[in-house]
This record gives sequence, C-alpha cells and structure tokens, in this order.
Amino acid sequence: MKKTMKTASLIMAAVLTAMSLAACGGTAAPTKAETSAAETSATEAAKAETTKAAETKAAETTKASGYKVAMVLDSSVSDGGWGASCYQAMVNAAKDSGWETVYTDNVATADFTTVMTDYAELGYNLIFAPGNQYTDAVKQVAEEYPDIKFALLNGTVETKNITSILPDAKQIGYMAGALAGLMSKTNNIGFIGGMELDTTKAKLECYEKAAKKVNPDIKVSSAYAGSFSDTAKGKEIASSMVSTYDVDVMFGDASAVDTGAREALAGSEGRYDIGQPGDLGSVDNKIIICSVVTDNAALLKACMKDVEADTFGGKTIYGDLSNGCLSIGTFSNAVPQDIQKQYKEIVDQIKAETYIQ
Amino acid sequence: MDAFFNINFLTELLLSTIRMATPILFVALAETYSERAGLVNIGLDGIMSFGALIGFLIGYKTGSPTVGILAGALSGIAINMVYAFCTIHLCAPQIVYGMAINIFAPALASFIYRLSFSDTSTLIQGVSMKALPIPVLSSIPVLGPLFFNHIPLVYFAYLLVPATAVFFNRTKAGLNFKAVGEFPKAAETLGINVIFQKYLACIICGALAGVGGAYLTICYTSTYSEGIVAGRGFIALSAVIFGRWMPSGVLLACLLFGFCDALQIRLQLLSPSTPYQLLQMIPYLCTLFVLAFFGIRKSGPKANGQPYYREER
Repeated sequence: MKKTMKTASLIMAAVLTAMSLAACGGTAAPTKAETSAAETSATEAAKAETTKAAETKAAETTKASGYKVAMVLDSSVSDGGWGASCYQAMVNAAKDSGWETVYTDNVATADFTTVMTDYAELGYNLIFAPGNQYTDAVKQVAEEYPDIKFALLNGTVETKNITSILPDAKQIGYMAGALAGLMSKTNNIGFIGGMELDTTKAKLECYEKAAKKVNPDIKVSSAYAGSFSDTAKGKEIASSMVSTYDVDVMFGDASAVDTGAREALAGSEGRYDIGQPGDLGSVDNKIIICSVVTDNAALLKACMKDVEADTFGGKTIYGDLSNGCLSIGTFSNAVPQDIQKQYKEIVDQIKAETYIQ
Repeated sequence: MDAFFNINFLTELLLSTIRMATPILFVALAETYSERAGLVNIGLDGIMSFGALIGFLIGYKTGSPTVGILAGALSGIAINMVYAFCTIHLCAPQIVYGMAINIFAPALASFIYRLSFSDTSTLIQGVSMKALPIPVLSSIPVLGPLFFNHIPLVYFAYLLVPATAVFFNRTKAGLNFKAVGEFPKAAETLGINVIFQKYLACIICGALAGVGGAYLTICYTSTYSEGIVAGRGFIALSAVIFGRWMPSGVLLACLLFGFCDALQIRLQLLSPSTPYQLLQMIPYLCTLFVLAFFGIRKSGPKANGQPYYREER
C-alpha cells in the first residue's frame, strides 16, 4: 500500500509540475506569437469601439517591415507603472515602424541572459532591455551575438551593438520638484522611491533642489518602499508622511507602489500627487495634479530607425525637454491658472538649462 | 525627537501597526490550524496571491467587497485542495507541495488577471471595504480610533484569536483536532477520523489565507498588482513558530512584526541620513532575534510535517 501511494504521489507530482509549467507557458503563450498589429488592435478594441472589419483592415495596412523587437522585463507588463509604460512604448514604436514585437516578463535576474540569448538565437533584430539592472546581461549577450542590436534604457554603455537610451532623470526631478514647490501649502512635500537606483537618487536630489528654488521654506520627506509592487506599503508610507509631516504634495518613482500612495491621499482635501512616466492625470482628477511624461516610444523609434539604416550602436540617445521626449502632462483643475503659467515658464528655463546650473 | 513623543505620532504608529499586522494575522492563524493537524503548509504566499486576485476580481465585477472577500476565501480553499489531496491522500512531501503551490498559484493569478484586463497602463481600481466605527466606543479619545474604528474584517481577525484559543483548549472538537497533529495513530484508535480532520485543517487554512490575500486588494488598497503579497506568507510562517503554535503567541508575533514595519517607515522619515536598507532590516532582524531566543521546536505538534500512513503499523 505504501508503495502504491508513493507511486501515486510521484504521478501527482509529475501532473502538478506539468500544470505549473502549463500555467507559466500560459502566461507567455498569448504574448509569444502575437504581432504588433494584433496587440494594438486588442488595445484599441478595449479603448475605442472600432468595428472588427476596420481593425482587420488596419492590421492589413500596417506595413510589415520584417524587423522584430523583443523585450525582457523583470516585473510585469501589467504593473500599472514602469513595466506597463515601457511595454506600451515598445508597442507604439513598433506600430509606427511596422515591427513585430514579443516580450517575456517576470524574468528573474539570474535568467536575464538565458532569455536574451533565446531571442538572439531566434534572430530578433533588436532586444530592448528597459532598465539599468540589465546592463551586465546585455553586455554579455551582446558580445556573443555581434549581429543582434541591444537597446538599454537608462543605460550608460555604448558599444558596436549596444545603444543606451537615457531620459534625463535630472530634468524629471526638476519638473516634479518645481510643481510640488509651487503647489504645497504646508511647505512639506514627499518622495517615495522603490529602490535606491542611480536614476531614483538623481530624481530625488533634483526634486528637492527645484522645490527649494521655488519655495525656500520647503521640506522634503523621502522614504523607500524596497519594492515596486507592494501597493499596501505605498499606502502606508504615504499616510505616515501625511500624519508625521503634513505632506501635501507627493512624487514617486516606484510603479505600483505609487498607486498605493495615491490611495492614501484619496479622501483628504488638498493633498496631491504628481504622476510619471505616462500622462496619468486628467482635468477632473482630484489627486494627480499633473504628470511628468517620458516618451520612451520616441526614443525607441530612433533606435529602430538606426537598425533599419544600419547606423546602430556606439551612442547614447538622450531624452529631454529639448527633443520633446520629456513633456508636461495634463493639468487637473486643482492647479490654478497662474500657477500653471508660472510652472510653464520654469519648465522653459529647465529646458534651456538656465534654471538650475 | 519631539515629533517622536507626541501623542498623535504614537496613535498613528499603533494604528499603522494594527493595519499592517492584520493580513499577516489571518495567514498566520491559517497556518496554526494547518500545523495543529500536522500539515506544514509553506504555500501560504501562493494561496494569498490567488485569494488577492480572485477577491479583487469578483469584488470588481459584483461591486460588493463582502462577496469579494468570500470569493477570496473560496479560491483559497480551491487552491489548497491540491495540496490537501497530495499530502493527505498520497502522503507526498509537504514542503515540496507547499513550494509547488508557491510557484503555481501566483502564475495562475497573473494569467487570469491578464485575461480579464489585458495590458493596461494604470492599475484598475476595484471596490474597497468601508470602516465600521463601533458606536460610543469609537468616540473615546486615543483608544477609540485605535481599536474601534476599523473595517469589519479587522475586528473579525482579532476576534478570531480568542475564538481559536477557546477552540483548541476548551472544546472537545479542538482537542480532537490537536490530537491529530500530536499522535495521529492514537487519535485514530480513539475513533477520530484523522483524514477528515486533516482535510478540515486544509479547508480552514485555505479560507483564512485566501481572506488574508483578499484583505490586501479589497481593504488595504483597492487595486491588484502582481507581487502585492510581497512575502507576507513567509512572515506568517515564521510568526507561527515564533508564537509557539498558540493563537495568543501568534497575535503577539504579528503585532511585533507590524510594529517594526510601521516604525521602520517612520524612522526613514525622521532620519533621512540613515541608509534605508538598514532600517528596512529592522522587522526581519527582530524576527530573527526573537526566533533565536524564544523559538522552541519542542513546543510544536509532535507529528508536524509527517505523512500519515493509515495502514502502517
């Protein structure tokens, strides 16, 4: 009896393993084979109610260039923050250039190289690594596959087949800080980081500088969640900032954690958040007063152009206010007209690099 | 430093302790039931993620937080039945299957999330449970907001602690239940249905862990993001050992952890010059320290983690 039970348990183990593998495969399955046309039509279907006939037409007319881009992501494409915005950027850039897209998300750090190597073997023209943390993996795989191109977001590497894409973290910090300084009535503003990345540190530093420039009495509180996905922690941090320092304007660099922080602000009058990297706000939004928008799609499109023209590599594509890759998002009604005007003037100074030397 | 000793600050600190301890308390009580029947279930993190998603999803579709919480409980039971069947009927290694649940359940959860919402650039806002202040008592200064102004689920979690203690120590059913985790063979000879008790343990464990997950997406916040559980299941696991498999001990362990985490956030704000990594270690260091001094293995159920072969002598 004991023996048959053991055999049975082994069989169960095999079935369960197969099931979890199937589940893992399942997560990736709908993404692997899809073309950009199919994906965008899916999102379009969700957004605007276009007829099915019109969509298939659109899919047919999308010029197929034969180029393919793959993205490797350690978080999820539906995290409502960094992962989602990078994924959207890739899809939008690919749609305009007629490229095919695939992605693999929730990849553990130890598997970065394996997944990238797979895509390189499959002959993807461009591999998009959205973050500084992929640098070592990209370097390693890029060396082994000199014909495959790599785009490294927030990177600092330039080789024959690696191009770094670098949105200006300083300008992002200045833009958020200036608005927070203008809007704060309690003279206390907050910043929530996910992890202490170089870009996050730069944003925090510049956020503080710009806020102090518009209002010398400003005090900045900052805390790190140690996570990009723990929304509950974000809510807890935000409410502790409110209760301890009476913080009334916040800015975050922590994806889903920021969403949690916004929940803590909901329900209390006159406490606001500044969104990033997408344009998250709207005119009647009570919490998000404005967003600092990073257009990663435009930067990625520049990479794609380079691949097509065979001029790829050996450079860093910067994204800042002057080339339109950074911009001001939608203001909400909570921001008075005179502050909007004042803020736009400051942003013009940041753009001209005369605001803070 | 004057900010530290002001009454508002302390109230907020304790309030945040209660909020942060609640989800861990649910899951730690779940594990207490499971281990008292001799089943070590390390798949709590997985069950929580699944409960978090299903609770959120059903709450979002029906617009009712209560239905969402119930759905979270049911989904927790469903996932835990896989573990129950393999470990109770097939006598498979419990740790291995707990781990399998930890890998399988979150992957299934994110798969279902994407099927339901495709790829959105912002998180979907679901329903959230409203606070239910207890009349009269909630207007007592300091103590009122601290203990009597919460959502119903918080009261439920804390009432579950004495209820569990009474069940385990004062009722026949509870003693039978515990006997299964101590010496199943002897329990069987006394006419206790060991297999039934073990399944019951798994149902309670799945339901409470599922509620713990759903609490995160319906009560704490009103959104679901992948990875929202953030290791709370493992903290609960250590809280059970730390609390010596007793409900009161488990409560203490959860409160201590919640307190350290709440304190950690506030220390980050009060002393920005201290590296935040050091402060974030506080809850874990505290757990490690207490476990090293107070975690006595002897106090656990004797047959904990061992498979029960009914027909073996």
